[in-house]
Amino acid sequence: MTLDDLVEVLLNKGAVLHLDLIVAVADIPLIGVSLRAAVAGMETMLEYGMLRQWDADTRAWAMRSAARHELELRAGEESVVRMYGGHLLDDDFHTTWRPGTVHLTDRRLVVLRRDPREVLWEAELSAVRAVRLESERTVGGESRTRVRVETADGAGALLSAADPERLRDLLVRTCPGPLTSDGPRSPLPGPDERALVEGHLWYREPRRDGPLWRGGNGRLTPAGLVWKSPLDARPALVLPAADVTAVRPGAERGPGGEGTVFTVETGSRGTVTLAADEPRRWVEALGSPRDAPALPSA
Amino acid sequence: MTERALYVYALVPHRPGAADGVTGVDGHPLRLLDVPGTGVAALVHDADPTPYQGTDEEVRRRVAEQDAAVVAVWERTGTALPMTFNVLVAPDTPSDVPADAPRDARDARSARSAEERLREWIASHADGLRARMDSLADRAELRVEITVDRAASARDDERARSLEAELADRSPGLRRLLTRQLEQIRRESAERLADALYADVRHRLLAVAEDLRERSRSVRDADELGVLSAALLVRRSDIEAVGAVLAAVRDEQPAARIRFLGPWPPYSFADLSDDGPQGASAPAAARG
Repeated sequence: MTLDDLVEVLLNKGAVLHLDLIVAVADIPLIGVSLRAAVAGMETMLEYGMLRQWDADTRAWAMRSAARHELELRAGEESVVRMYGGHLLDDDFHTTWRPGTVHLTDRRLVVLRRDPREVLWEAELSAVRAVRLESERTVGGESRTRVRVETADGAGALLSAADPERLRDLLVRTCPGPLTSDGPRSPLPGPDERALVEGHLWYREPRRDGPLWRGGNGRLTPAGLVWKSPLDARPALVLPAADVTAVRPGAERGPGGEGTVFTVETGSRGTVTLAADEPRRWVEALGSPRDAPALPSA
Repeated sequence: MTERALYVYALVPHRPGAADGVTGVDGHPLRLLDVPGTGVAALVHDADPTPYQGTDEEVRRRVAEQDAAVVAVWERTGTALPMTFNVLVAPDTPSDVPADAPRDARDARSARSAEERLREWIASHADGLRARMDSLADRAELRVEITVDRAASARDDERARSLEAELADRSPGLRRLLTRQLEQIRRESAERLADALYADVRHRLLAVAEDLRERSRSVRDADELGVLSAALLVRRSDIEAVGAVLAAVRDEQPAARIRFLGPWPPYSFADLSDDGPQGASAPAAARG
């Protein structure tokens, strides 16, 4: 476990913390890190110089109050809705979704993180000029609906929300001024981007000491097959359709049981071994991706 | 506080004398705390039970000192489970133990010294610790960071090229619009290249490395797009082969920028994945 992960675990998932060894400083359990979890990479700190922040965050975590996840309302301010969500931090250095809770009041729209408590983004409703839903396709192929909010100062934010449609509707109703809003607006996928088959897919990743079955999301389009594990930053398998020379059912037993394995012969990667609950759909579509009809998600 | 604590650098196989002459953070002399019957020792210095705090510069210096100490002992013992910065084992101080601490800490009848606590902890985890040390013996960690240059990765994009040509003789208003379109095309083009490059490099690195763990992105240059940021666990004899893979990638893909760091002690691979879930460990899938 690296320090990045450690910080993540400590600050966002305090419940999994195991206090094996405790150092107490001024009655605050400062380093509540199990020895096992502390076996880690310190070069991270060399790069980020984040130790002080880490200590400060750990202190904040240790001292957090029961009311930490509630938004402090101003006098007379009323809460309209609260739901899980997040804010897309998009500056010159980072593009990161920061999870938290989206609070809509009769005056403000706020994205709040619980631990450590921080207002990730905030706008006065009087300054909100437009709100619309956007469809975002993640690298793994999943489609997510996001809420785009534009404000008077020309800035704005892209938010995620547990129920984006509801958030948009309530926002439109709550905002004082006239608001520009429209229905779902997703960029139309090009002819090569429509999914023929999409869903859970196992990939038998070749490794130095023997292959490893890994679970992930497969997405087959006329352009080719892309497979991505949620643990990886990008797809580990990108097979252009033109690279596929043959597809056949496999004989071996896969992670999903008998009859789930199929192999894809490629020019660049040789034989690629995959497995799915319904391999026939993949095999058929892979065999003739240009002619295959679009199927609902697997 | 008068009770002494231990600042822990790493767990290593017990080799008497392996810490001789090695100094750690702030010049503290290091010693091995032997845990009889386990074959495991802790590399420590005697400390106040207070974590290091200071400016980023001080932290950097101390982290570098800690790293140098771990490397020196690692080279003598052949394997190590390095700790992160500021791992302190304090003596039992029952009055300071919070109410939500584990039961065994609350119920401690007699206060133990830091040495006793650390020895007990190591003894109770000895099998797992030894197994992990064995699996890391003669291996080093390498860091690979690959990004692509956004502008360079769109150089072959026909749409981008024709837009660039169009830009020159347009009105300022239209130029702004076209510039935005150009940025979008460059973004998409760079993403496509990054996806293809990631899949290719990952495949080639995994043919040489024993393990690969992705790290969070550290792209700081807005002109670059992150492709792969990973720690590799590599047999010492295979370090050159990793370099050869990266050199080939550099030659094949002019838009790629590659950073290759190490070899280091296996900082990112020292977790004990055999007991309990580990956030960043390899996916829980069966080896086929």
